[in-house]
Amino acid sequence: MDIPAMRASFAKAAAAGDEAPLYFYSHLFLSHPETRRLFPVSMAHQRDRLFQALGDVVAYVDDLDRLVPILQALGRDHRKFGTVAEHYPAVGASLIATLRHFDDEWDAALEQSWTTAYGLVAQVMVEAAEEASGQPPWWDAEVVGHERRTIDTAVLWLRPEPEFPYEAGQSVSLETDVRPKLWRYYSPANAPRPDGLVEIHVRAYDGGPVGAALVRRVGKGDVLHLGPPVGHIAFDAESDRDLLLVAGGTGLAPLKAVVDHVARIGPPRRVDLFVGSRTEERIYDRADLERLAEEHAWLTVTFAVSADDLSPLEQGDVGEVVVRHGPWSSRDVYVAGPAAMVQDTTTRLVQAGVRPERIRSEVFAPSRLGPSLDGEVTE
Amino acid sequence: MSIQPHQPERVERRMSPRDVRSVQLPRATMLRPGYNDVEVDRFLDRVADELARLHADKAELRDQVRALQEEVAGAPVPEAPSDQAVRILATAQQTADSYVAEAEDFSRQMTADARAQYEEQVRRARENAGAIIQAAQEAAARMTAGERPATVDAPPRSTQELEEQVAYLKAFGQACRTQLRAYLEALLVDVETEWGRAHPGALPPSAPRGIPAGSSRAPAPNVALEAPRDDNGGGDEGAGSGQQSGVGRSVR
Repeated sequence: MDIPAMRASFAKAAAAGDEAPLYFYSHLFLSHPETRRLFPVSMAHQRDRLFQALGDVVAYVDDLDRLVPILQALGRDHRKFGTVAEHYPAVGASLIATLRHFDDEWDAALEQSWTTAYGLVAQVMVEAAEEASGQPPWWDAEVVGHERRTIDTAVLWLRPEPEFPYEAGQSVSLETDVRPKLWRYYSPANAPRPDGLVEIHVRAYDGGPVGAALVRRVGKGDVLHLGPPVGHIAFDAESDRDLLLVAGGTGLAPLKAVVDHVARIGPPRRVDLFVGSRTEERIYDRADLERLAEEHAWLTVTFAVSADDLSPLEQGDVGEVVVRHGPWSSRDVYVAGPAAMVQDTTTRLVQAGVRPERIRSEVFAPSRLGPSLDGEVTE
Repeated sequence: MSIQPHQPERVERRMSPRDVRSVQLPRATMLRPGYNDVEVDRFLDRVADELARLHADKAELRDQVRALQEEVAGAPVPEAPSDQAVRILATAQQTADSYVAEAEDFSRQMTADARAQYEEQVRRARENAGAIIQAAQEAAARMTAGERPATVDAPPRSTQELEEQVAYLKAFGQACRTQLRAYLEALLVDVETEWGRAHPGALPPSAPRGIPAGSSRAPAPNVALEAPRDDNGGGDEGAGSGQQSGVGRSVR
């Protein structure tokens, strides 16, 4: 394999922008029409993701220690899309046809390099997928409860079938038949329960196809699909330090799961949860959080509003309010919410003397396609 | 020819080199009949060799076909789509994508506008509510503050004075309640005597008008605001203002 030559030819295709993935998918669907059903109607985002994923592969191709785990995760995750081993050669042929199309200096040696490289990539992914065949490619999850809490937020309770193993703080990709082939990541808002129910908080961002469908169209009795859980906020269940949790918007979900984990599994420790919102009426899970605070002496819940002068709650950005209640230097800190809120809160906490390595954060934004590298789509 | 040994069994119905070798030609007469045996045998050998060579070629070709078939099956690219086809599909996909994007954008604008309107309405409603509460508080403050000038010469009221007033107000309220009850009972008695044994709930609204006003005119309306309206009919509202003046006076 001539890696520099491969990188050069990939750069030529990448320089063609959207043209290259457009050519690739058209070529793939014409030569293998049966692959079309694995993809959503609109391919616009799909195209970006393909070249981003391929770019990762090309970038790390000489760093196998790093590349192989990414590919294995990809291979496992692709099972939920309905990808099977037979699809891999089809994709490889179209990929090489695309690279050839956009490269004036394509030659047999380059084709050989790419064929070999793709063969290895496919092999790693297929093997990882086969190793994971002990668990289902996806889980059917019936909606057993659906509550509209505000104009654009809903809380859903799902019952996955068969048992869905996950840990507090992880993310789960989710698809609804109303929006086929569009997978979005959400965080369960509870630790695993004996009855297997999973609580999900969904915010419908304006124009967002999946969130809006989950909030407004999906109801009790509908069945969603869950992909395998992926670790993300990296909740350190082993630590017994007291906790400071700071949530904005539906970033509350993984933090509520952490509270639930402490309640169910322990170890016992003080937990302070701050929930920030623009206005009081947007605090969508207040009643349940107040119930938890009442049930557990170790839990304190504080609500803060940033644009609601009339509210009797704490006033100010949640980061500001948190620091006002400090010091927090002995705590493990978890921050989850919109990017600006996460940024602002971590900055203030670091300024207030919290060690940066004790702060873990997760950004909740529209279209959480996937947590960075893993979960990305390569086809 | 090395292949020859394993060919025969596979081509039973066709002439194999062995068939040719083992052929037995009948002789025509007893003395010097037919062909020269040696020549015939030599010829048969040549035929056998030729057949063997053909079989070998055929086997080789068959192997090649099999290998190629396997290759084709392993990488099923029936035929590469033409660039033109790819371009047409790409354009169609782009068109579909742009429609989806437009629809999403439209829905984004609509929901954003709707949300902005909703939030504006809520904000205004809360502001109004806030303003009303504030006005009420100011009015209350003015009432207490505004009364002071009237007694400006007098020394500030002592706690005892205030307590007396509170006690007076309580007693006044109690008296009102008692009188209202008396009024209502009188009313019911009247209703029963004048209108027969009608159920009080079935009373027409004009019923109270039939009561002589003098019996309990002033206090009854005082408490009317505390009691559910429908119990008292329409007649008491006018007198309600009397209550306020009465209370106002008593505060002073």
